[in-house]
Amino acid sequence: MMEDRQSFIYKLILYITGFLLFCEWMRPMEQISDTDDVRVFLIYATFCFFVSFIQVPWYLSIPLKGLGLAFIIDGLYIAERIFSRDWFSVLYEQILFNIQMIQSQEWWQMTPLFRSLLFLILLWLMSYLLYYWFVVARRMFFFVLLTLIYVTVVDTFTVYDGKWAIVRTFILGMIALGLSSFAKVMDQESISFKGLQKAQVWALPLLSIILFSSAAAYASPKLDPQWPDPVPYIESAAGGAGPGGSGSRTVQKVGYGEDDSRLGGSFIQDDTPVFRATADGERYWRIESKDTYTGKGWEDTLEDPVTNMDPQNITYELFTDNVEVEEQTVMIEMSRQASFRKLVYPYGLSSLVRFPNDYELRVHENTGEMDTLKGESPAKVNEFIANYEYPSFEYDQLREAGDDDPQEIRDQYLQLPDGLPNRVRNLAGQIVEAEDNRYDRAKAIESYFSSNGFEYSTTDVPVPDENEDYVDQFLFESQLGYCDNFSTSMVVMLRSEGIPARWVKGFTGGERIDTRDTDLSDDLQNVYQVTSGNAHSWVEVYFPEVGWVPFEPTKGFTNNTDFYTDVETEEGEDPAVAPDSETPEDQMGNPQQMEEEESSDAAGAAGSSDRNSTWLWVLLSAIVLAAIILYFTRYRWMTALLIRKYRNNKDEETYEKAYHYLLKVLDHKGFKRKPEQTLREFALSVDRHYQSNDMRRLTNHYERVIYRNEAQSTQWPKVTELWENLIKKTLS
Amino acid sequence: MIGKEEAAMLSLVALLAKGHVLLEDVPGVGKTMLVKTLAKSLDCDFKRIQFTPDLLPSDVTGVSIYNPKSMEFEFRPGPILGNIVLADEINRTSPKTQSALLEGMEETSITVDGNTVPLSDPFFVMATQNPIEYEGTYPLPEAQLDRFLIKMKMGYPTAKQEMEMLSRTSNGHPIEDISAVLTREELVDLQREVLEVYVDRTVNRYIIDLVTGTRTHDGVYLGVSPRGSIALMKAAKAYALIHDRDYVVPDDVQFMAPYVLSHRMILTSEARFEGQTAESIIDSLLSSTSIPVKRNISE
Repeated sequence: MMEDRQSFIYKLILYITGFLLFCEWMRPMEQISDTDDVRVFLIYATFCFFVSFIQVPWYLSIPLKGLGLAFIIDGLYIAERIFSRDWFSVLYEQILFNIQMIQSQEWWQMTPLFRSLLFLILLWLMSYLLYYWFVVARRMFFFVLLTLIYVTVVDTFTVYDGKWAIVRTFILGMIALGLSSFAKVMDQESISFKGLQKAQVWALPLLSIILFSSAAAYASPKLDPQWPDPVPYIESAAGGAGPGGSGSRTVQKVGYGEDDSRLGGSFIQDDTPVFRATADGERYWRIESKDTYTGKGWEDTLEDPVTNMDPQNITYELFTDNVEVEEQTVMIEMSRQASFRKLVYPYGLSSLVRFPNDYELRVHENTGEMDTLKGESPAKVNEFIANYEYPSFEYDQLREAGDDDPQEIRDQYLQLPDGLPNRVRNLAGQIVEAEDNRYDRAKAIESYFSSNGFEYSTTDVPVPDENEDYVDQFLFESQLGYCDNFSTSMVVMLRSEGIPARWVKGFTGGERIDTRDTDLSDDLQNVYQVTSGNAHSWVEVYFPEVGWVPFEPTKGFTNNTDFYTDVETEEGEDPAVAPDSETPEDQMGNPQQMEEEESSDAAGAAGSSDRNSTWLWVLLSAIVLAAIILYFTRYRWMTALLIRKYRNNKDEETYEKAYHYLLKVLDHKGFKRKPEQTLREFALSVDRHYQSNDMRRLTNHYERVIYRNEAQSTQWPKVTELWENLIKKTLS
Repeated sequence: MIGKEEAAMLSLVALLAKGHVLLEDVPGVGKTMLVKTLAKSLDCDFKRIQFTPDLLPSDVTGVSIYNPKSMEFEFRPGPILGNIVLADEINRTSPKTQSALLEGMEETSITVDGNTVPLSDPFFVMATQNPIEYEGTYPLPEAQLDRFLIKMKMGYPTAKQEMEMLSRTSNGHPIEDISAVLTREELVDLQREVLEVYVDRTVNRYIIDLVTGTRTHDGVYLGVSPRGSIALMKAAKAYALIHDRDYVVPDDVQFMAPYVLSHRMILTSEARFEGQTAESIIDSLLSSTSIPVKRNISE
């Protein structure tokens, strides 16, 4: 009874330690993945671990855990009544859809429900596995080591602060290892728990060692991080926003997001389709603009006023009637994965046809953000057709627009943070020095980036430190970045020169995938596939009497807006002022395709070296990991190989090798035969541990081979069986 | 024999290996009883010689006496001509008498008054001696000691064993109830079987490793002679046979080594001064000589 209780407590402690270690794996998840609330999973894990521990028979435990899983999935994702017909059909559809996604290797499209489901199943399996590892096999070292590595990696590469996690893991690991080796020794020496009335006293040295070493480790001075570089790099990937990355502190894919308050950092390419546009040419797909630069990113202070507009007659205007326009029509079809509750629209939007009747359109007049609402809540419009007036800006009109901005525009679009370093202003001054009008100045700044060593890259882009300015860092230190860096820098420099400008977000034209004859237009229209990777930011500069004119500072991208020279008014127009990027396009045939290639080339070239080295690292770590795994499991796979080999070979030499291999495996498991120990003695101690007599029987046969010089071929099947049993028992 | 299983077994080993046993212990621990029991259970001719300081060699070997009737010298065989001979307190007699026995043990015959008399078969001597430090003893010379295959100690029984012993002996001695389990012929057969027990080269190598160890050990002045190696092999063979095996394993050698080797070596005075004994040296040798566990070791 006493023994039972003691060993129960021991098992309980061990298992709880394992569970707590496992919790260390779950803790960072809120921060490093887009898991919002890890508590649900923790509760489920606790439940599973509990059920595993009380060791109810499988016909009870499986339904129990399954029920828990169903309730969680129901509570989180399914509105239907639990276990109703509809409930199952929702689940079935979800699973079917996700399996299709998995089959087509489009992992990112898996729905949250399915991912949660998989994760819960993983927890279920882990509860079983850890019970086996910790309580049955008592092999926790590997898990403790993995936990430590995991925490350090997560701490190093993400925003997660693993300081206390390391301390906790260390202490838990020591407890687990101490207890298990304690138990192993007791087991090997055949001490029963009964003899341990003073178990508390025995545990004292263990406890004091743990306390002492933890305290010493905590108090002792530590080296500074030896490799601080990857931290900002990956941290930015976690915390930063790609082009429109959401900026929440999670690793982001490229895509449109709303929070731009902290820009910078790298992002992962993602080709999830967002929408398909059938249009006459490549357009900027605008979503909104932002007005306030904080030194780290952009904020929106001009959400209001908001006006409800009739989709048939949109009065929101980005440019005045002075601009030459062409009536055009576009059809937008949102993809299934996109979850936009805003309109993506081209410049000059005038009306929406085929817009669902039960939807409302609400426009933020300053930012141009157009919410689509169904009832009172934002909702996605899957498909609509928009009429728009495609503008063409005349160079001289822009050049002659002057600097006479309305006071309102000056108030809102000349803002700069107080901490903006002076060298940014100075640089802007130098760039525009030679120009005498607003358009040329803007153009000078826009083209400044195409030379002067700036590079387009989506990786290795730093995030500014607390006391650093985003623009300043890009202009003077990194000179490496993507659209956010270029466009923000341009806006800031323009503003420092007194030119009202704002930062605009949306998508670039996308990839032309088809040509279609539609009833929207007389000509053939192109179909453009716009993906998350096309999320983009650019610049709008205000010109009095003209309005907001888009500029494209980002290296490798071209302005999708039309500019022209009015030959009648100004005959001697210098062709050099034409947008530089348009020239090569005209020469090289299909402009739409060219641009896309160009931009992806630019991105690819800049990123390739980093990607190569990243791949190298990934490959290396994979090899190292594989080597480690192979090493740790060497006895398992070697045994599998040898069993096959020995089955077919029936000579004494094989037997000898097999027997010695068994000795080696036993040695690996802690049964070391001392050289002066006879085989019999050794076999006895092994058998005592496994409470069988297999080893003695096998040894007996082996002795006959080596000390009697006897052939054992008649006994072979029996011997092989004994040997296999022993090996399997040892390795289990 | 309560609590004397090991001693009984060792005696049996010596008997089967055609060797002799030297029992060294204080009086009263059952040395004589052991030999008597053995003799009785074997259906053999049992003789006992009580060695005293005034015992003469002829008292051991026997003497020719003139028979006036037949006018001839008639040989009266001494106790050495029995199958199982108990030489009690062998170190209390003079070396001359001792060697009369010891020479008989080595040869298979004795010579009395010019007559060569063959010794009986089986012939098994079990000598006892009080520990050497007792007064009034003539210690056996080392050269003579290795005539004994095995030297062992009996030791005191445990309290529990002694309790049982008391209760058993209270109604007469149980030795009276012992009947023979083995005839003389069967014993001779068994002795022949011992010779047939297989000793592999690997095991011989181990024996040699052990014996060589005694010769190179720092605490040993005179190591075990080749005769010792042979003795160890013989004893291990007999031990294996007792355990129903027709081949020797290193365990047999390990078990027999302390009994076979300890009286065949002379320690240096330094080692003795440090408190080492022959047994402790053999123990240390056993725990430092590695066991052969593979076939075909190269010579």
